[in-house]
Amino acid sequence: MSDIYTDDWYKSVRETINEHVAGLPAKAVPQGEWHAVVEIVGDGASPYVGADDVRRFLIKIENGSCAWYREIDTPNPEVTLDYRFVGPATTFDEIAAGMRDPVDAALDGTVKVRGDMRFLMRQAELVKVLLEAYTTNVETDWPMGKPPYSGAGAG
Amino acid sequence: MRDAYDVIVIGAGHNGLTLGSYLARSGLDVLVLERRHEEGGGLCTEEVTQPGFLHNIHANYHTFVDLAPPVTDLEVRSHGVEYVRPEVQMASIFEDGTALTVHSDLDKTKESMARFSEKDAETFGRLYSEAHGYIDLLLGTLMYQPPMSVKELTKALAAFGVEDRSEFLSVKLRRESINEFLDQHFENDKIKAHLAFHGAICAYTNDVPGLAIGYPLLVGKIDNWHICIGGSHRLAHALWRDLAQHGGTLVTNAAVSRILVDSGRAVGVRLDDGTEIAARKAVASTVSAEQTFLEFVDAQTVGEEFSTKVKTEVKHKDWTLFSVHLALDRLPQYEAAAFDPDVNRAWVINLGYDSTRVLDADWATIRQGLLPDPRPNAAVNSLYDPTDAPDGFYTGLLRQFAPFSFADGGEGAWEGAGRWYGQRCIEAWQRFAPNLEGGIVDWAVDTPLDITRKLVNMPHGDWMMGEISLDNMLDQRPLPELGEYRTPVEGLYMAGSTQHPHGYITFGPGYNALQVMADDLGIEKWWSQI
Repeated sequence: MSDIYTDDWYKSVRETINEHVAGLPAKAVPQGEWHAVVEIVGDGASPYVGADDVRRFLIKIENGSCAWYREIDTPNPEVTLDYRFVGPATTFDEIAAGMRDPVDAALDGTVKVRGDMRFLMRQAELVKVLLEAYTTNVETDWPMGKPPYSGAGAG
Repeated sequence: MRDAYDVIVIGAGHNGLTLGSYLARSGLDVLVLERRHEEGGGLCTEEVTQPGFLHNIHANYHTFVDLAPPVTDLEVRSHGVEYVRPEVQMASIFEDGTALTVHSDLDKTKESMARFSEKDAETFGRLYSEAHGYIDLLLGTLMYQPPMSVKELTKALAAFGVEDRSEFLSVKLRRESINEFLDQHFENDKIKAHLAFHGAICAYTNDVPGLAIGYPLLVGKIDNWHICIGGSHRLAHALWRDLAQHGGTLVTNAAVSRILVDSGRAVGVRLDDGTEIAARKAVASTVSAEQTFLEFVDAQTVGEEFSTKVKTEVKHKDWTLFSVHLALDRLPQYEAAAFDPDVNRAWVINLGYDSTRVLDADWATIRQGLLPDPRPNAAVNSLYDPTDAPDGFYTGLLRQFAPFSFADGGEGAWEGAGRWYGQRCIEAWQRFAPNLEGGIVDWAVDTPLDITRKLVNMPHGDWMMGEISLDNMLDQRPLPELGEYRTPVEGLYMAGSTQHPHGYITFGPGYNALQVMADDLGIEKWWSQI
């Protein structure tokens, strides 16, 4: 198990997702490259992101798999972004803990999604598999406590 | 005007200007041609009663402000556009003197609804909150992207298990009418009548099967109705300024008579006066499919079969709008203010639809080519925009659902009926606001026939430039062959309200056509920075 949001944890996430993608039929996996940024916004409740901080992770998806990821310190990296996911840290923590459904978080507007929605909708089956892998198969340590948090601002 | 441009856009309505501006900002040499004396299309504001009274002849309700990407991308506010969002957005006044008000504040709307049904007020609160949560997703999926098919959409909804997650979204909505949706979730006739009326003035006729699929989006923006200060035409000016500042050219009084096609490719246009202008990269038409393919190109060019489809299968709305523009020396004081004082501050008011049954009966009457007893909706913009009338005076608008063509006399019968029906609409208004007797300085009518005469791209008085129905939505609108903004003629694109999503000041058709043209022409999509 790895501490949440550490390099080792992301490595576990990447491996888990890629294992699931490898098990999918080829026709279910879109070919191409996409870049996405996940913005985890400190909300005063999550101990993993400062109240006024934003942690940003740039992810490259290549042929359905996560090719690489890295934490970045700018909202606008050099690459052309295809998607941006923005939400409060507590919500992302809860998703990682398997306590909150990411589709629900998008539907209720807690996590904002920007990018080509048509493509996401057309790849709904794949997206669903990836989200399930992320929320249920990654073992995580919570050194500063696990949600639910008692503080204000919890998403 | 030179003899060649990169792209020629036919029609300077808000979609044509939007498309032209984005392309000009992308570095292309753009010409926008408009047959009328001014830009704007439906964004026309005219002094049709008395000098100083600014009447929005066509587009009055701006409901996609800050939801449509072009509002930001094209910096319309920096070009002089100012919007106001009325605190009391809308109301229904019922025959028994009660009234329901919709506010920019959800709690106040719920309080108003709770006077009729506490259960419905709570249901509405949940529906609004749910719809507001996913409005970005809906807009991104359903409005500001080239369209998906209904099949793709329902498949995605099923894959994400939306039906299990949502109280209101469901795959079966594609078979249901707004009436059925309302009957399932609400109990009070008046609340249902108001919500159905809200759908209707957005052109989503409440008794048409399948339109429930769009209803959550309508509710998500039910409190986003804006007035364009100084008249809707200000927006057209702003878009023109943006086009001009980025090197684009607008020419008015320039009616296109032909789209020039060479070896199957659109290469330019010919104007009524014979002037020919070349288009190096593309021609985009924002006028009707009928004008574009039956008047501007030969049937041989697009094929007889396609030409026949345009003639026979392009669908138009089966009702339209009859308008009365009024110059007033006083604001209406409604008798229903005794029940709810906020009706006197409401911008858009439904007068007399007490139930969906009454609304349905009027649709049936209209579809027979008959005039219903007037139950107009009234909008006094001056309540929130004092610049649209001289000091101490007010501008009013009555809109009445009506047929385009009479069973007896066809559309030509509007020639004799306009003033008479206008007077009846005014009397219907005065019944709810008796203080208006003697308070009308002047008035003028705009009949369905006038709509088509003034804006020739709106055949049959069709202010949405195409029927709003499930088989004329998304990638089926206006025909499957045109659903992706491309046409049978290479280099010719459709970018007006004939296309998905539809009419209204959505900016959607122009914005979506832009995406397709950018793909085809290799334009970098600077506007879609994520």
